[in-house]
Parts: sequence; structure tokens; C-alpha cells
Amino acid sequence: MSGTAADDGHADLGSHDSFLNGPPHATFARLRAEDPMHWSDWSGGKGYWSVTRHADILELNRQPDLLSSARGIRMEDQTYEEYLARRTFQETDAPEHMETRMKVAKAFSKPVIAQFEGVIRDLCGPILDEALAKGTFDATKDIARQLPMRMLGRIVGLPDEDLPWLVEKGDTLIANTDPDFTDHVLDKMTTDEFRMMPFNSPAGAELFVYAKDLMRRKAEAGDTTGVLPLILQPGPDGSVLPEHEFRNFFCLLVAAGNDTTRYSIAAGIHALAHDPALLRQMQAGDIWDTAPDEIIRWASPTLYFRRTATRDFDYHGKRVREGDKVIYWWISGNRDEAAFAEPFRIDLARAGNRHMSFGQGGPHVCLGMWLARLEVRVLFQELARRIRTIEPAGPHRYLRSNFIGGIKELPVTVTLN
Amino acid sequence: MHVTWKLAEGREIKAEVKDGLNLMEAAVANNVPHVIGECGGSLSCATCHVYVDEAWIAKVGTPDRFEDGMLDVAEAERRASSRLSCQIKAGPALDGLVLWVPEP
Repeated sequence: MSGTAADDGHADLGSHDSFLNGPPHATFARLRAEDPMHWSDWSGGKGYWSVTRHADILELNRQPDLLSSARGIRMEDQTYEEYLARRTFQETDAPEHMETRMKVAKAFSKPVIAQFEGVIRDLCGPILDEALAKGTFDATKDIARQLPMRMLGRIVGLPDEDLPWLVEKGDTLIANTDPDFTDHVLDKMTTDEFRMMPFNSPAGAELFVYAKDLMRRKAEAGDTTGVLPLILQPGPDGSVLPEHEFRNFFCLLVAAGNDTTRYSIAAGIHALAHDPALLRQMQAGDIWDTAPDEIIRWASPTLYFRRTATRDFDYHGKRVREGDKVIYWWISGNRDEAAFAEPFRIDLARAGNRHMSFGQGGPHVCLGMWLARLEVRVLFQELARRIRTIEPAGPHRYLRSNFIGGIKELPVTVTLN
Repeated sequence: MHVTWKLAEGREIKAEVKDGLNLMEAAVANNVPHVIGECGGSLSCATCHVYVDEAWIAKVGTPDRFEDGMLDVAEAERRASSRLSCQIKAGPALDGLVLWVPEP
């Protein structure tokens, strides 16, 4: 999974096509070594700075007053009106970010999420059994794509019959640069009519309506399943999440809960299919405290988040101007030789794994990180228990996106235990 | 200032901490187990939860509204002495501080 033939160390990181063969690791390695604060002009809008070293990302990420989330978190430029219409709490700074975070954090806290282990295990069984019985199948489509939304559905308390529709909408939202997933490929057509919609997408508008309806249905039925009641109940200070914030938050849940865990699972299965020793290690069973984080480091599904400079500052000899876009490349930090011994090797027993797949080190650290770790652990425990061998059954294909990194097609052949 | 972390297993970790550093950063730097600080001290994760020793509660002070909200998210049981250690700043007034680290 290191640099591909097309990646000569000078890949255009602003182009989704540069990620078609996986992340351009040779380019990231060169930037970490030679130009850790790197300016790129960009055909899609204003240019941007790339931060690629683990230590630098950590240092900058803890300074949200200098590098704000409240002017957009993806590379694309937004007007203020677009920002206001589309933002979720990912796109806010303190104190606003904390107001929302406080209200939703309990529902995704480690102890609350831990209670769902049995539920998750029960969901994994039938999905795995059905896929594995085929012998040869697409592991992304039949396993990785199936689980996260169903798990989220159980945890949030969504009706099962709504889940396929939600998976589809979530795909459209996040994979909005891959023609396999959306009719509205972001950089390939005029999406002006969707500019005010969440994630620039009509699917966002549909999810808004769904969320509003869901809130009403839950209230009318007095439904208290899942964590939704925890989110909707008054916070410690008596304040309640307003409807528009819930709507945005729900959209974010569907998008984030759908894609990132899927691609962590896909990356893990891909790794198993290429290195039989990993499966044996999982079957030996003494690596489950560390394996989920290593798989998630390896996958690094969210490739970057962007911040915006709130004032001029100098960094690595460069002058960053107020309003400049600064990109934290988590994928690069996760392969930084200065932070990880043998970063291009998967070590399921890796200790002290300070990976940054969850945006660690800053206020926007992934709200769902305990859920993601639990899902990855349970899925691979259940998978490893069931199979004797797993091998590639053909070439795999990556998502066309410089924002979400993932294997969207992963043919494998298994033999069962 | 000097800090002592008392672990549930009975072990103690003592360290000299530079003024201005927060106690989460100090714990991570001194390899205090179970103090993680996933959010880098920005009050977003509650993985640096500690119990302030009774003798020090008044000097350390009480959590603000946001910290109060986030303490509900911590893994270990919340007590009257609970604080997120990223919100406690090292300084001469806290020299000799004792913190108890909850076992997850």
C-alpha cells in the first residue's frame, strides 16, 4: 500500500484522482522530509497549506484559536452563507462547539457504548455467515458496508427497515466525489442548486426531513430505545439540543457512522487477505486491547480535515496569512516514521499507538471513537473465529476521494473453520 | 511544583511539573496509566479524569460548566472530587498536589 507508480512524490493532493490507487504515500513521505509546511495552488479554488508531520499536526490541532474549524473543514471554499446553512458542530469553535458536545457526548461515552457489545456481536453473526457462505465475495459490499449503519441503527434506535435507505444517503453524502456513489459528483458538475444543503448534496436535505420526522415519531411513541433519548434530554445545565442542531447532528451521524468504520473494516480485511500471519495472531487472541487502534491507524479513513488561520503566523519558515486554509493530513501523520516504528507495517500488538485517525489532540476528536473501536474489535473477533484462510480474489479498488480513504471494492476468497 | 499520582493498584508516581503545564500533559509525560488525553486538553473527551485528594479540593477549585458536563462522560464513577486534569494548571499554589487515578 505504499506509493503507486503514478505517485512520483509530487502528486496533486488537491485532486481526487491522485487517490485512485490509494493514498499517495510517496508524496506524503517527501513532504514530511522536505517541506513540512507545504503550499499548493489548487485548481478547485484558493490554494492551501499541507501539514504532514505527526508532531506538527498535534501542535497545531491543539490551537483552535489560531486554526479555526468555523470556516469549513474540507478543502473546498465556502461563502459564509453556505457555511451557515451546511455546518454541523464539526464546523464550530469553542464555546459553541462545547455547547453541543456536552449534550451529545454522554450518548457516545465509553461506558454507554460498552453496553452495546452484545448487540453488535449479534448483528455481526448473520452478516458474516451470509457473506462467508458465498466463498468468494466483495468484502466491502457484503461485510464492511453492511455493519456500521446497522450498528448505528441499533445504538441510535432507528427502525431496521430504514437502514438501507440511510446507508444509501450516507454514501451519497460523504462519497460525493466518486461517480459510483452519487449522481452529483462534486468537482465534475455544477452543484450550485445544492450549495446550501448539508454536504453540498440533496441527500442532506432528505436526511434533514428524516431527522425531524424521527424526532417526532420517537416523542409520540414514547420510544426510549438507543441513545437518542440521552441526546434529546436536557443537559447537566438544563439546556436542550435545538431542533436544527439535532437535524445537523443526525446528518453527521449518518455520514460519519456510515463511512469511516466501513473503511476501517475494509482496510483490516484487505490486510488479513495479504498477510496470513495477521489472522493467526487474531486467532491467538491476545491482541484485542491494541488491534482495533492499529487497524484504525492503518485505515486512516478520514484522510484530512481542514482548518483556517485566524491570524498571520510563521511556521517552518513560511508565512501563513489570516484566512489561509491549512490541511491536517491524518493519513500522513499516521505513517510518520518519527511517530511510529515501521509505520508501513501492521503490528496488531503496537503499544502506545498515538495514531490520529480520530483527530486526536484537538477539540474535535471523534465523538464516535469508542463505538468505532468496539465495532472493529467485535467484527474482527467474529471474523477470525469463523475463517481458516482469506485471500484476494482479484484487484481491489479505492474510492475516488482525497477526503475519505477507502477500499470500495474488495474481492476475497475464504475457507471456513 | 511537585505532584503525586496515586494509582488504584497502590503504586505512586511522583514528578516535578513545570508551572503552566496542565496536569493531563504532566501525567502523559510521566507515563501515568489511564490518563490519556485524547483531545489534547481541549475538554472534549474526559480521558484525563482524576480524583483530587480531599486535602486539595478547595485549592484546586471546582469545574466550570463545560467541564461539569464532560465529567458525566468519563469512564470511571464520578465523585465530588472528580476533575478533568487537563483543566488543572500547575503552579506554586498547588505544590505537593495529590491526585488519585481511577481504574477503568
